[in-house]
Amino acid sequence: MIFNSVSFSIFFIVFFLLYWFVLNKNLKLQNGFILAASYVFYARADWHFLFLLAGSSAVSYFLGIYIGKVTNDRQKRLLLYLGLLQGLGTLVYFKYFNFFITSFANAFSIFHINLNIHTFQILLPLGISFYTFRTLSYIIDIYNDKTKPTRDWVVFFCYIAFFPCLISGPIDRPNLLIPQLEKKRNFTYEHGTDAMRQILWGFFKKMVIADNCAAVTNQIFDKYLVLPGSTLLLGAFFFTIEIYSDFSGYSDLAIGFARLLGFNVTQNFNYPFFAQNIADYWRRWHISLTSWVTDYVFTPIAIAFRDYGKLGLLLAIILNMLIVGIWHGANWTFVLYGFVNGLYFIPLIWLGKLGGKKKSEHSKLMPSLAVLKNILGTFTLVMLTNIIFRAESISKAFGYYRRLFSLSLFKTPVFQGKLDAAVTLFLIGLMFTIEWLHREKQHGLQIDYIKSRFLRLGIYFSLMFIIFIFDFTEQHQFIYFKF
Amino acid sequence: MTILKELNDIFIDVFENEDIVLTVSTSAADLEEWDSLNHIHLIVSIEKHFNIRFTSKEIQSWKNVGEMVDSINKKIAV
Repeated sequence: MIFNSVSFSIFFIVFFLLYWFVLNKNLKLQNGFILAASYVFYARADWHFLFLLAGSSAVSYFLGIYIGKVTNDRQKRLLLYLGLLQGLGTLVYFKYFNFFITSFANAFSIFHINLNIHTFQILLPLGISFYTFRTLSYIIDIYNDKTKPTRDWVVFFCYIAFFPCLISGPIDRPNLLIPQLEKKRNFTYEHGTDAMRQILWGFFKKMVIADNCAAVTNQIFDKYLVLPGSTLLLGAFFFTIEIYSDFSGYSDLAIGFARLLGFNVTQNFNYPFFAQNIADYWRRWHISLTSWVTDYVFTPIAIAFRDYGKLGLLLAIILNMLIVGIWHGANWTFVLYGFVNGLYFIPLIWLGKLGGKKKSEHSKLMPSLAVLKNILGTFTLVMLTNIIFRAESISKAFGYYRRLFSLSLFKTPVFQGKLDAAVTLFLIGLMFTIEWLHREKQHGLQIDYIKSRFLRLGIYFSLMFIIFIFDFTEQHQFIYFKF
Repeated sequence: MTILKELNDIFIDVFENEDIVLTVSTSAADLEEWDSLNHIHLIVSIEKHFNIRFTSKEIQSWKNVGEMVDSINKKIAV
């Protein structure tokens, strides 16, 4: 069930009413209801792998308890490795097994040795990259004494399978979500209306911006071999906007629906295109994933390499970004994508400019010229690696670059639907204007500061109207469903 | 100078922020500049300043400045 579908709307409305008006008195029943609904939600999308979801949850649940109980260091470490093996093992098998086989065979074919290796028909279980990272963070945090194991299996299974976030995140840490599951949730009018605003904004970004950008992007990437460089530049631009509005739109929806149920889940995007350098960008993009990899991969490696100064730091960052890249899927393009993004950090490391706060432009309406230059520069860097991200193979990515950086860059762009694209460009400008105005806020449409109810309602209805006229009849999948 | 005061000076130096005032309960959540990248600089500076060496496990176990002070005290006492 995707969020922008009739079936999900009905599902959620029924769930919402029962959740608050019938089951609110009994916490255990309410949690049970979340669990049942989450499994129904998952089954509708992918029932074959329901057992895997439940099985992974069960293994982590029991391992968590034993790791917490056991005092012998060696036994503790053994249990941790078991959990890592189960989680990473299943993830690697379903996601990367064929990739390893074909890469292995390809390596031999360079020497004209033909290994007749068959790949298996391995389907990718929905959401596995997301819920596996939840189970892993749970047992690692228990091992490191950062969290306590929970004895309530319903709470734990809910933490892993929480349906607003089950398919594509955000990836919540145990310390954020489990305590909320163990306590009664409260609903306030302000909370509810702001959650609805976030949901509206998510729908706008996904159905208006992302889907319309896709119409431009897809045709350009499909025919890149015959298109001029100027068109390819537009393709890269529209794809960058597409993936942002698609995924941040999905995240706004997930967070909004969770808030309607009384939960505060992790923020996933913090206006990444307002970043002024690449380090800042990665602090704002897919936050729940990058902070996960930072905490569990970068930090231990950086600590181990701390004697090697800037080189050690660079190595840790590159490994970090490689993992972020390859997490997206079994393709060398994702490896290259991660690697190049790691390399982007080099100037920052060498100049010692990695840290925290940049020149903030708090409450200034217009960005200064210096800030604008930084924003556009960072955007360009990101846009260039997104070509690799989008391409089906590395050779195709390089083919794209070759045509992009040729003299045809100065020819007029060629593609279908120029009027639609122009309108989309205008709406992109609208989206960024609204987000710029609200860049210190929790989400792009947090307009509770507008005192005039008339104005607020006007904004809601305008957005809904735009969604209505720009919605294609086909329902486009969210990009991140396939990760 | 107490350990806390020496730490405070190191923080000010690494984060390039003169307004930092540490208490034993200060944690990464309280200081904007204290992120994963600066954390490594901090550790290296602390180890150099006190001429001590932490294990990875010790470093990962700190939840706030107070626990860092305890770790430092233990190392110095040895």
